[in-house]
Amino acid sequence: MFRKVAIKTNPLLLSKRFLHTSPKTYNAVNHTAISPSEMEHFNKLAATWWDPHGPQRILHKMNLIRMDFINDTIKSQLKLNEGIKNDEEKVFIPGWNYKNLLPSEIAGQIEKEQKAAIAAKYDALELKCLDVGCGGGLLSESLARLPVVSSVKGIDLSAEVLRVADEHKTLDPMVEAKLNYELKALEEVPKDDLYDIVTMMEMLEHVDYPAEVLKEGLAHVKPGGHLFLSTINRDFISWFTTIFMGEYVLKIVPIGTHTYSKYINDSEILEFVEDFKKEYEVVSSKGCIYLPACGWKFTSSSNVGNYFSAIRRKEKLSN
Amino acid sequence: MLFRRFMATAATTAKTHTSDIVIIGGGPAGLTLASAIKNSPILKNLKIKLVEGGNLIEPLEKFNESPPANFMNRVVSLTPATISYLKEIKAWDHFKEERTETYDNIYAYDGITNARIQFDCPEIATMCENFNIQSGLFQRIKELNKDNVENPLEILDKTKVIEIKSDEKNKWPVLQLSTGDSIKTRLLVGCDGYNSPARKFAGIESRGWAYNRWGIVATLKYKDDAFRFPTGWQRFLTSGPLAQLPLPDNWCSLVWSTTPELADILMKLPEEKFVAMVNAGAKLAPSEMEYLYKLAAKNDETLMEEISWRLNLFNSKLKEEEYENYPLEIESIVPNSRGRFPLKLSHADTYVEERVALVGDAAHTTHPLAGQGLNMGQGDVKSLVKVLETSTERGLDIGSKFALEGYFSERYPANHVLLGIVDKIHKIYSTDSSLLVMARSLGLDAINNTPFLKDFMVSQISNK
Ligand SMILES: Cc1cc2nc3c(=O)[nH]c(=O)nc-3n(C[C@H](O)[C@H](O)[C@H](O)COP(=O)(O)OP(=O)(O)OC[C@H]3O[C@@H](n4cnc5c(N)ncnc54)[C@H](O)[C@@H]3O)c2cc1C
Repeated sequence: MFRKVAIKTNPLLLSKRFLHTSPKTYNAVNHTAISPSEMEHFNKLAATWWDPHGPQRILHKMNLIRMDFINDTIKSQLKLNEGIKNDEEKVFIPGWNYKNLLPSEIAGQIEKEQKAAIAAKYDALELKCLDVGCGGGLLSESLARLPVVSSVKGIDLSAEVLRVADEHKTLDPMVEAKLNYELKALEEVPKDDLYDIVTMMEMLEHVDYPAEVLKEGLAHVKPGGHLFLSTINRDFISWFTTIFMGEYVLKIVPIGTHTYSKYINDSEILEFVEDFKKEYEVVSSKGCIYLPACGWKFTSSSNVGNYFSAIRRKEKLSN
Repeated sequence: MLFRRFMATAATTAKTHTSDIVIIGGGPAGLTLASAIKNSPILKNLKIKLVEGGNLIEPLEKFNESPPANFMNRVVSLTPATISYLKEIKAWDHFKEERTETYDNIYAYDGITNARIQFDCPEIATMCENFNIQSGLFQRIKELNKDNVENPLEILDKTKVIEIKSDEKNKWPVLQLSTGDSIKTRLLVGCDGYNSPARKFAGIESRGWAYNRWGIVATLKYKDDAFRFPTGWQRFLTSGPLAQLPLPDNWCSLVWSTTPELADILMKLPEEKFVAMVNAGAKLAPSEMEYLYKLAAKNDETLMEEISWRLNLFNSKLKEEEYENYPLEIESIVPNSRGRFPLKLSHADTYVEERVALVGDAAHTTHPLAGQGLNMGQGDVKSLVKVLETSTERGLDIGSKFALEGYFSERYPANHVLLGIVDKIHKIYSTDSSLLVMARSLGLDAINNTPFLKDFMVSQISNK
């Protein structure tokens, strides 16, 4: 009954596309198995995965903005005075627009103190990460290099690219010890393995049941942790904003809308959206665009082109 | 038996260390880079070693504790941009400011027509001994190390890099040191000057040419018979510019660029006669200089007399208000402060390769006439540190060319423009073809009378 989400073929993006997650990811429905020709395409890419000047350059560039998005989100979610009882020790956070109202020196000092406090909080983090659809390991390695990351597990379904990833990580002692790759589907990750960061980059648009995959991913996020996703096509965004956010703005859904109606009508997903609201919140969304002259840049609109989203699992359930 | 003993010593003494960054060179560029990295909250935990072939720590400590009475002969002119960066990394506090001189007046004049251009701009430049720069940076590094006991910056001086190879597996550079040890590093930064072994290891081509000129340096003292605001004087002789740059208490630093033949003559002269030649060079006509060089070549005993006679004549023709258009006369020289350096223009094809970055003179050298060489290196450091910070935050391998690319694309064009301007100035002024001379004098006069053009030039020179 499920219909496949149409994937627009953008030649620019084709090179970085990989079916990280085959339909096997969800309940072994395998009527959309990766075609041999596509598999061959990605096997070829495996050889040049780590050449930033090769066909994967655009993906290497994208990795930069992914990391910016993850870092920015984590820093912005740090609660400065959390857990500090003594007022003396608290960092002063004026509840008003102090930058305009206070003399610049004082405002500058306040800002400096806040920055230092955030930096100290950030430095103390020890994050455990799960990179779903890790491919050749671009993002996994970058995560593993961050001092605040204590371990990274990368999973993918292609033995070929995992071999590349495994080989590449041995070149750098800094990541080798923190990083390990496993050939497995998301649902094979033990249920009680929880992570501070779960990433699904350029992956959801390739699966038939994004909601289920996402649900699976969210289940592995620790309370207070984040799931980061990025995806490349507009169809997905429509789906996401309409269903996932519970906003039925069908007026703006473009051509092919009825494709989504299947999902919308799916009671299981609707139920999930309800659960979602209690347990998760979207804390940041950003569009981004590739400009050949200057690489990937964030845009002000998350409705066009590529798209990042950060979903936070609440510490406590809310109503 | 012997062999076994050899093996045993080799095994116990020679070690292979691993580093995130190795900096070759404890010159101004290397020490600035080292302090800037350790000053950065994002980079301070990197494992960094600085390797310097010469004796560095001991003389720098000595300079800091009991600085020499006289100024040293290697002095550079720092731009406001450089100083503000040194302040940003909190190194400037450790400089001996009393040994620096800030001047806001540059007086450039033509060696044939004496047409002139005067730049005026608050704090256009600050004269500072190279050693003062290095000492201030070294003290800053010590201070940073105290706060960073886990990952202090390690300076290995009196240690030469003898050979650089690539690790077989991950291609990281492995440096063979003169001490027998070796260091394997994620990123090698060559702050190793014009002959840069790091550049050679990376196979980066450096292009340019020798100017067929030497720069003669010396520390001189003016006669205390009149007053001048601190001024940088630069007279464009056809053999090259003669620059007198101000130091505190009526001292000045000489940079006299000249042909190898004339440099030979000037270097061999007894010190007193050398001083007289500097005074001649600041005022006399080319034909007179020709004659004086001939006398100087023979160390002729009439030289002093000839010079003072000609200078008296010259001075007697000056109107009262014209006196200030020339520097005071030099009275004496710090003994043995004369030195000479070959001048060349060079620019590396790239500053970054896989596992290698080049900074300062390793990447580019220029004619000293605009006092930009060291300042360009400071600009490099600032840019490279920013790139390393961003790349670290993004979890990139900071030794990869991909992570370093931004440094090259930011600095190369800026440096290229400067090298080009300085080269053009050198070429225009090293001629006595009368047409060009007229044009350039008109040029100087015209520029002098066109405030906005002058402002533009001042901003170019002082990097404002
Ligand atoms: C006459 C003259 C006047 C100048 N005036 C000015 C001026 O007014 N303003 C200005 O900005 N610039 C000026 N400059 C230029 C300025 O001096 C240089 O640009 C600057 O010193 C370069 O610094 P650096 O650290 O890049 O290189 P260097 O100072 O050359 O340092 C390189 C270091 O690397 C070390 N090294 C090299 N190879 C090895 C090895 N194999 N193993 C271990 N160590 C090694 C060397 O021992 C050396 O200490 C002038 C230059 C000259 C010649």
